[in-house]
Amino acid sequence: MDAPQPKPNPGVTRRQFLHGGMRAAALTGLGGLLGVVSWRSTAGTMVWQLDPQKCLRCGQCATACVLEQSAVKCVHAYAMCGYCQLCTGYFEPEPNDLNTGAENQLCPTAAIKRAFVEDPYYEYTIDEKLCIGCAKCVEGCNRFGNGSLYLQVRHDRCLNCNECSIARVCPADAFRRVPVEHAYLSKQIAH
Amino acid sequence: MNFSVPHRRISRRRFLRQGMSGAAAVTALRLTRPTGSAASSQDNPFAYDLDRYRKVDPKLVHYERVGRFRCPQPEVRRLALGPEGRLYVAAAKYVTILDRAGTPAGDIACPAAPRAVAVAEDLIHVAFKNQVALYDGKGQRTAQWEPPPGRPFLTGIAVGKNDVFVADAGNRVVLRYDRSGKLIGRIGEKNRERNIPGFVVPSPYLDVEIAPDGLLRVNNPGRHRVEAYTFDGDLEAFWGKPSASIEGFCGCCNPINLALLPDGRCVTFEKGLPRVKIYGADGAFECVVAGPEAFTDTGKEKSVMDADTGAHGLDGVVDAAGRIYVLDLVAGDIQVMQRKANV
Repeated sequence: MDAPQPKPNPGVTRRQFLHGGMRAAALTGLGGLLGVVSWRSTAGTMVWQLDPQKCLRCGQCATACVLEQSAVKCVHAYAMCGYCQLCTGYFEPEPNDLNTGAENQLCPTAAIKRAFVEDPYYEYTIDEKLCIGCAKCVEGCNRFGNGSLYLQVRHDRCLNCNECSIARVCPADAFRRVPVEHAYLSKQIAH
Repeated sequence: MNFSVPHRRISRRRFLRQGMSGAAAVTALRLTRPTGSAASSQDNPFAYDLDRYRKVDPKLVHYERVGRFRCPQPEVRRLALGPEGRLYVAAAKYVTILDRAGTPAGDIACPAAPRAVAVAEDLIHVAFKNQVALYDGKGQRTAQWEPPPGRPFLTGIAVGKNDVFVADAGNRVVLRYDRSGKLIGRIGEKNRERNIPGFVVPSPYLDVEIAPDGLLRVNNPGRHRVEAYTFDGDLEAFWGKPSASIEGFCGCCNPINLALLPDGRCVTFEKGLPRVKIYGADGAFECVVAGPEAFTDTGKEKSVMDADTGAHGLDGVVDAAGRIYVLDLVAGDIQVMQRKANV
């Protein structure tokens, strides 16, 4: 009896190789397309927001936004505010006097308004048209006070870019997409 | 001369492997965002500039560090000195007892976070957010006082011979109790007839100490001053001014805590710009115990100099020899400061 001949290695023909390759490429492309479609549909319901707990007050919100005046603004959690006479978010670290003189104010655009309530309490409000989102007041308030001033992306201004130019440079990774139903990340009293 | 470079052959497998690792490296680089260093405060045109206040003139610093130890419990808040010379630290849900070298001598487990502690004889008075409890030397709770009315947030406690004074930052008042826990007086509330302007307490830091002159010393942080009251609530004197410079109290609300030297001089503790300073009994600035630079080398990611609201601040006590024990709320350690020999 003759010894059995070894089965010839079927191998892969060039045609089969090309077929397989094209099929794999088509599947990959389809997967990618589905990914893009699903991301686009989510992007419509998600918006950019800044987590105030992570914010480092680096100043880049004022300069990195694609808008001429940043969509990031200072907001005020009144429930946290101490209504201080010497508000470190309003006054320079060593003001000449505790009055509204421009030389005493910390804000480079005078966007914070100070109003007398009763001795010795004052209320501070942000004029968003003037605020450039530089976070100078936020730093002053967080360093010495209760941290009631903080930054938020204002959605009446934000273009909701696919790739937020502030998020790209944010050193704290404080920007993230949030559902449009919960578009703001508010600060609250901790105690 | 022949300078031709020898031709190096590379296998297909090696070529693919190197190509793939190169692509992976490029992808990783693209995914890595620019981080912290690119946005340092030096590059920030809107920086809140406190640099000139971060260093104190060395001639004004009359104390040096002679010891430092870490508290075993996290979330340290207040410090007290017992009559036997041991340190009592209000931290997390414990009052931790340390000897003066920092060796743990025991913990008293508490049902809530202790906000302040004071020790008299063998009785440990612990102020929680809304009530005072007493513990014996073995850590057993022996009494619990009625919560004060209103919205209390107790932050300071001092025990005298017949009285216990409790600083209530929530109601902006110092409560006077007898030693049995009966409320017998309210001190420092706004009262035009008694010429008392009232405490301004933007953040929960109100402290009370009993001075050797028989008066209370209470910080009034929103007014940037220290006030002296009789036990019956008459305002006798006050001193202090707002200023970021070394003589004054910085920020919106300082000093946050007080301690008294045996001769009645006052040690003040500030937040924002962490500073420990000594003022004469009349309020004249005398010297610095520790400036902001004393709190930077903590080995932690953030020092008390850079920490945000809520977890920052300092507290301290003075022992009979005049050494000042400074509790750093961010680093969670105690620095022992002693007056320099040559000042």
